[in-house]
Amino acid sequence: MADYKADQVLDARGLSCPMPILKTKKIMKDMKSGQILEIQGTDPGTKNDLPAYSSRSGDEYLGMEQRDGYISFYIKKK
Amino acid sequence: MSDNALIGKFKEGYDSLFEQNWPLWVGGVLIAFLAVLAAAVGRPWGVAGGLRVWGDWLWYAIGLAPQPGSHLFLSDPAILTWGLLAGAFGSALLAHQVAWTMAPRWELGKGLVGGILLGIGSAMAGGCNVGGFYSAIAAGSASGFAMMLGLIAGAVTGLKYLLWEIEHVKVTSPAAKEKTDGVDWAKIQPWLGALFFLGLILLAYGLSFQAYTQSGLLLLIAAGIGLVIQRCRFCFVRAFRDPFMTGESVATKAVAVSTLLCLVGIMILKWSGALPEESYVYHHWIGGLVGGYIFGFGMLLTGGCGSGSIWRAGEGQVKLIIAVLAFALSNSLFRAHVWKPAVANSWGAPFYLPDLAGYFWALVISFVVLIAWWALTAWNEETDKLTMY
Repeated sequence: MADYKADQVLDARGLSCPMPILKTKKIMKDMKSGQILEIQGTDPGTKNDLPAYSSRSGDEYLGMEQRDGYISFYIKKK
Repeated sequence: MSDNALIGKFKEGYDSLFEQNWPLWVGGVLIAFLAVLAAAVGRPWGVAGGLRVWGDWLWYAIGLAPQPGSHLFLSDPAILTWGLLAGAFGSALLAHQVAWTMAPRWELGKGLVGGILLGIGSAMAGGCNVGGFYSAIAAGSASGFAMMLGLIAGAVTGLKYLLWEIEHVKVTSPAAKEKTDGVDWAKIQPWLGALFFLGLILLAYGLSFQAYTQSGLLLLIAAGIGLVIQRCRFCFVRAFRDPFMTGESVATKAVAVSTLLCLVGIMILKWSGALPEESYVYHHWIGGLVGGYIFGFGMLLTGGCGSGSIWRAGEGQVKLIIAVLAFALSNSLFRAHVWKPAVANSWGAPFYLPDLAGYFWALVISFVVLIAWWALTAWNEETDKLTMY
């Protein structure tokens, strides 16, 4: 999978449910349409929560990338 | 079929079972089945009771409490909680999901405070979200519905706090941990997981030779619940929180269905005389309501309830390990010194729902409440009327 160029990065490493989602929602509110947010996380639950969140919010879940010790998730603002 | 194709098929099957998560409703059905089995064996499913036994022993170990009357491993409540932790740990191994996950200091503090509140709330309610709500409703104890209301109200308050916190408190992540070299843990985790479950089965088999067959069965049933719950990431907190947070209702529906199925099973066991009618009907509504509120607030801070804190602790999440220890210690202390059985009983009496107008109407009332909960959250998923954020 290609790397996406993120406009903003949310460092949610070490945070567990529901903090990554709450913080994502807060940042996404102030982003512009078409911009990409990278969320760095370590909670396995985020793998399910972010796609579910974006399917409800209408934003586009682009995918995730395993990094060294954490996972990067990418969401594009609608 | 060549060997390679066979191995490929096996790997595919393994991946869908242990790499991907199972749907929540599958978890709800399986948990209900296992919870009814536990009741049939003689001990309805609970979590806080076992944590209290751990807490009693921890206080005893540091010399601050007399020797507990319940066995640390073999008493029924303790073995249910050990089994849950063991099953979740084994399941996380099978899924390569055991990782020592450090959290920022602020989060660890929330784990501690939340854990203490979980302990106090569950002591008052006579159980956590499992023993005080799930198993209580299933056993026909009216207090289960009081705790349900308390949990919903506490979850709303807790969510309001979290929303305030993300605006006002800056939490920095701990530095990304450097990769440990040497053994490739990810690769051998599934093998360790398989060995671990084999060990549990042998342990239960061994117990059956020591006149502890019932304990062995409870151990395996609880480990089964731990496995299911970790595979689904089955989360009671989500059931109470998500309708207000993201508007999602999937977790609420899974919990409502699971509670319903478990209720039918346990009512049949009681009606047929296989389980005494008074089994798990000892709580009263004030304790359930107030304890539920405190517990509901606490579970928003920790991000895990009774069962949820345990399975996340089994994955190696430091915040939840702290929460579990605080839960056990505070429950033990609060029950021994504040909310003693005599105090609890002076506040109210237990009420067995079928005593109102028989089993039929007890089932109807419980169905109506749980289906209304389902319907309200499903309606909210479409309209977002209750969603606060």
